[in-house]
Amino acid sequence: MNPLSAAKPFAGKSVAYPRRAPLAAFALIYTIVSGGPFLWVAMMSLRTTPEIFASPYALPSSIHWEKFVDAWTKSNYGTYFWNSTIVVVTAVALLTIIGAMVAHCLARYRFRGNRVVRFIVLSGLILPPQLMILSLFQILLEYRLYNTLTGLIIVYVAGHLAITVYILEGFFAQIPQDLFDAARLDGYSDLEIFWRITLPIGVPALFTTVTLNFIILWNEFLYAVVLLTEDDKRTLPLGIMHFMGNHQLDVGMVATGLMIAIGPVILLYAFFSETMIKGMTAGAVR
Amino acid sequence: MASVGIKDIRKAYGSTEVIHGINVEILDGEFVTLVGPSGCGKSTLLRMIAGLEEITSGEIRIGERVVNDVPPKERDIAMVFQNYALYPHMTVADNMAFSLKLKRAPKAEIAARVDKAAGILGLRSLLARYPRQLSGGQRQRVAMGRAIVRDPQVFLFDEPLSNLDAKLRVAMRAEIKDLHQRLGTTTVYVTHDQIEAMTMADKIVVLHDGHVEQIGAPLELYDRPANLFVAGFIGSPAMNVLKGRISGAGGRPAFKAENGVEMPLASAPGASEGKPAAYGFRPEHLRLVQDGVPAEVVVVEPTGSETQVMLKLGGSDIVAVFRDRIAARPGEIIKIAPDLANVHLFDAESGERLAA
Repeated sequence: MNPLSAAKPFAGKSVAYPRRAPLAAFALIYTIVSGGPFLWVAMMSLRTTPEIFASPYALPSSIHWEKFVDAWTKSNYGTYFWNSTIVVVTAVALLTIIGAMVAHCLARYRFRGNRVVRFIVLSGLILPPQLMILSLFQILLEYRLYNTLTGLIIVYVAGHLAITVYILEGFFAQIPQDLFDAARLDGYSDLEIFWRITLPIGVPALFTTVTLNFIILWNEFLYAVVLLTEDDKRTLPLGIMHFMGNHQLDVGMVATGLMIAIGPVILLYAFFSETMIKGMTAGAVR
Repeated sequence: MASVGIKDIRKAYGSTEVIHGINVEILDGEFVTLVGPSGCGKSTLLRMIAGLEEITSGEIRIGERVVNDVPPKERDIAMVFQNYALYPHMTVADNMAFSLKLKRAPKAEIAARVDKAAGILGLRSLLARYPRQLSGGQRQRVAMGRAIVRDPQVFLFDEPLSNLDAKLRVAMRAEIKDLHQRLGTTTVYVTHDQIEAMTMADKIVVLHDGHVEQIGAPLELYDRPANLFVAGFIGSPAMNVLKGRISGAGGRPAFKAENGVEMPLASAPGASEGKPAAYGFRPEHLRLVQDGVPAEVVVVEPTGSETQVMLKLGGSDIVAVFRDRIAARPGEIIKIAPDLANVHLFDAESGERLAA
């Protein structure tokens, strides 16, 4: 046997291993940094507060599942969860439909004022939410939408329309014009073209905006804390604050609350992360 | 099937006119290609026939009906696009059945028509696939199938082969021509490729900057180009053109080129002596003769079936194509003469053909 050919596989491995080592180390550190706190909170959510104060980093000695039941029933988490679900699902649904329609028009039609409309819609991207909060507060008060879920939904839709249109328009603009011409020849109206051509073809981009908006809005705190005051209107991020009073801090229950709040986001991300990344990069490489 | 009449069609975007009054009469069952360089308005004209582009003025007729204000779906036409325009979220069968479903045709009829078109194009085994699972040629065939299913009065093709590789293009060219011969449907075909136009069409419309330069049968355009633009556009390699003046010294008509070379003429057009003109001859109409004009060989390109030779003729670059295998070397001087019956004269200013 040729000694050279026998040596090859070893040579290959010994070259590849040192090259990959820094990458593996980086991946490991990154995983610890991002996953560590999550694991810690997950462990704390199953321990009582005295246990945690006794030994913050210990593993659970006995698992307290009942804390989840307590949070859900005694601490009003059921209501917060339900409020969050109503607000976020409605806002995301409206954002998807309105955003897709706006993006479709901007990408497809050459009309007078096209650029002005695009500029106005997309300028929402650069406005920091802190800047708007006082005026929004005033507007909602005047329209009697302050301290209502409807008001918060409207604010969420308005605030996230820009990024939604931005992502969708980039994707829709790449659908070949021929396809729309063909649909017109086949007899589709403008609205049918939107429903039956743009939307089905744009599914990857729609997944992206749905996931992105859902995650951001589910965690949204600033608008919610200013625009909602009654306890039974609060959303989950505010509910967690409930355990951080002025005079006491129930660390164990905060952790349990966080785990309840994170659940849907993790589920969504687990299912759609791949589609989302595809949708976001679809425009970049052609 | 139907004839198509295009009468004094103009198209302007704002104040910029891009189509300047075009008249074309397309007969029932005819295969007509619109050909020209990019930006000449051929696709715009086709899209106006389809109803995808509004007409600024003029009249388009399909059959007996003026269709200026008829929406695309009611024009009874089918169009095949350059990017195929297949619906990516539908199977081949659904793509083909789509327009019929919209018209609420009975299910049995849809199935029968799709099956017939699939049979004609050899697509039966692909009906359940999605466009992304097909090759370029197969996609183009599905696009044609979608058009055939509609059984339209007129087929419109918008550069359907430009996305295919060279070999497939030649095969599909023959397929489209064969399809036209079998179905006999009036066809308008847009291309920038003059070989496609020559090989497929019954009639070619040469467009340039929104004007019609010439309309005629392929060989008519090749043999008697109406002007310098057509002469240069139709034919590959292109026609050789020398600029100069017609002379008649000694009673023998000739052409004196600007570079000093004197080229023979069979006869000069009446009262043309001393007139500035352009002298055109195709590469294959040059012969090697003893008493010909001397030219220096620059490059020799044997293709097997013929030999293409780049020459310097009094400082001008010209191309000659010989059926015989010639053994000339670069730098060598050969003597050539054009076939007098195939010499073309054009007016130097207007570029129009001069009657010989």
